Amino acid sequence: MSPGTLARLAVAGNRTDLARMVLTALSAALATLVVLAALTVLAIEKPPGPEGTQSEQYTNALLREPGLRGGTAFALLLLTIPVLALAGQCARLGAPARDRRLAALRLAGATPGQVTRLAALETGLASLLGALAGLAGYLVGRTLLHRPDGDGRLALPTDVLPAVPALAVVVLALPAIAALATAVMLRGVTTTPLGVVRRAGRTGAPRPWPALLVGLGVLAAALFEPVRESLGPALDAWLALVVLVVAISAVLGVVLGTGTISYLVGRLLHRYASSPARLLAARRLTDDPWAGSRTFAALLAALVFGAGAAAFRAWFQLRDQLEREQNQVAGFADFQPDSFYLRTMDLVDLAVALAVTVAAAGLIVMVVEGISTRRRAYAALVATGVPRTTIGTSILWQVLAPVVPAVLSALGAGYVIGRMLMGDIASGGRTEEVCRASAELCQDPVARQNYVEFVQVDQVVSAPGVPLGQLALLGGGAVVAVLATVGVGLLFLRSNTAVEELRAT
Amino acid sequence: MTQLHARGLVKSYGPTPALRGLTLDIAEGEIVAVTGPSGCGKSTLLHCLAGILRPDAGEVTWRGHRIDTWSEAARSRLRRTEFGVLFQFGHLVAELTGAENVALPLLLAGTGRRAARTAALNWLDRLGVAELADVRPGEMSGGQQQRCAIARALVTEPRVLFADEPTGALDTVTGEQLLTHLVRLAGEQRTAVVLVTHEPRIAAYADREIVMRDGVIDHTGLGLDAPLAGGLR
Repeated sequence: MSPGTLARLAVAGNRTDLARMVLTALSAALATLVVLAALTVLAIEKPPGPEGTQSEQYTNALLREPGLRGGTAFALLLLTIPVLALAGQCARLGAPARDRRLAALRLAGATPGQVTRLAALETGLASLLGALAGLAGYLVGRTLLHRPDGDGRLALPTDVLPAVPALAVVVLALPAIAALATAVMLRGVTTTPLGVVRRAGRTGAPRPWPALLVGLGVLAAALFEPVRESLGPALDAWLALVVLVVAISAVLGVVLGTGTISYLVGRLLHRYASSPARLLAARRLTDDPWAGSRTFAALLAALVFGAGAAAFRAWFQLRDQLEREQNQVAGFADFQPDSFYLRTMDLVDLAVALAVTVAAAGLIVMVVEGISTRRRAYAALVATGVPRTTIGTSILWQVLAPVVPAVLSALGAGYVIGRMLMGDIASGGRTEEVCRASAELCQDPVARQNYVEFVQVDQVVSAPGVPLGQLALLGGGAVVAVLATVGVGLLFLRSNTAVEELRAT
Repeated sequence: MTQLHARGLVKSYGPTPALRGLTLDIAEGEIVAVTGPSGCGKSTLLHCLAGILRPDAGEVTWRGHRIDTWSEAARSRLRRTEFGVLFQFGHLVAELTGAENVALPLLLAGTGRRAARTAALNWLDRLGVAELADVRPGEMSGGQQQRCAIARALVTEPRVLFADEPTGALDTVTGEQLLTHLVRLAGEQRTAVVLVTHEPRIAAYADREIVMRDGVIDHTGLGLDAPLAGGLR
């Protein structure tokens, strides 16, 4: 098959195929933007001068301090997780129609390899278009946002452009990875001339071993501070890696644990189901408990990080409060702690909110796809007199029953790990020299001696309280986002249960 | 006595007419086969009679009540209680067992779970597939799925059963076995059957055969082989 024919067949399809390509391109554009933003942060040159010299051309401390840029870039890269999850979910959109099209191509003589290449090329081309759009958006955006303030300082690093080869690698690597991922995902799928056969996935009841992963994460987080104290700052870089592993372990545990939660919730629901809606939901949950893990992976990952960030915020807030109180005791009534870290947490919260939003967009795709896949069975149920509300309610139960405990476990795991990493706050335990006179007298070394007194600031070890409000906001927001996405998805129920669906074989 | 009455039914899909002023009566316990070439409007007629589709013009009356003007919810209720619907591929819910699929209409009607299961098991037994009670549709043959679908359609003891090519996906022997069951059980509870088919042997099970062409009734009769029908039953 010539490359031209391959490309033409790859982009052939109906409106759903077009929607899948547009969504894939959109995800690729978002991912490109995020990766380019991270590259830009890393491309800011370290200012000349001694250690601690800041890049004064920026208003934001995250950009000014060279030591913080790695973390900022890393946080930006973390944002690609929900974006890539959205791309993965988009790939499932219109799968039945695509399967029929690929089977028809096989019937017409295409080899299995050609069919795989077609599917991979479709994703690759859509991702390439998206990546190019992302690059264009980035270039236009950095021009539009380049607005120095009165002091000539910038809010964003719009004065920096990553090296052109780096830009090219991002624009080409993302589509290549997407195409490769599609080809890898199709390994378990055999497209025959008579249809598409999927290798059976994991069967049987999920085991509760994902809890071990979360436990491992909590244990490692609990040991973090003692180990750090005993080893000293020399190994801080390695310990940062440990923090990353801990976070990934917890996210994996929570995401995989959702399979176990779905299965258990499904069994409970089946035992006590008195309505057809709950019976349908229960059977689906026990039949494919991993669907929950796939559906909510990005959302739960965002919540684990969000809850961890809430623990960090509570820690910084308490530390600031203690410093303020102790300075008041010492006589510095006007003392205001530097709120740099709290401002940073604002940015982290913004990133989490963005991640939840992107994850919610992926959920809509999943819900619509689930409805579309079962449309003939649903249409038959409606034709036999089953109200659409019963089907809608069953979908609602199917999504909400596992999501509430899954969200709670994500919040719990994220918070506990964040809390363990930060430990308690030890403040005070020092003697403050206080000059109780006017500034003029205090600045005079001789006169000052008459007014100076030493105030003992006792050491206080405090534990930050659980930020219930923020956790509730995070969890409630996630559940509301899920509810809203299911609501949007259910709008497609009517068209997918039309009697015409019964006429197709 | 006429139960279901359709008069002057017109239905089009865009510019394509499917029904063009069709009139038809169905009596209690009567088995009516609707035959004709592909695209003549058989399934559309069945869907209009069952209240699945609203005709563009004309009316459908059930026991003196005009149902084509009813809301979708009211027509759904009617299909749940008075009508049964059966399709070519069974369309069972893949995640539910055979018994759960059959019990579904009863659960929707508010029957308790235990009573619904008992009734479902009884119907599966009457159709000779009691062993499928705890089997999922994916593990059943096409004929077994269709028997479960018949049980699901009859479990509420409907007054009319609408069957759209119920044997279309089955081999001849299995199809005829299925029809034998369907006709016997419908007869036992005086359920009228509207059977859409393009197979003369299947139409032979009916009391009356309606042959359609281009959206209207071409001719009506006792089927091309009334003696065969009698013999098969």
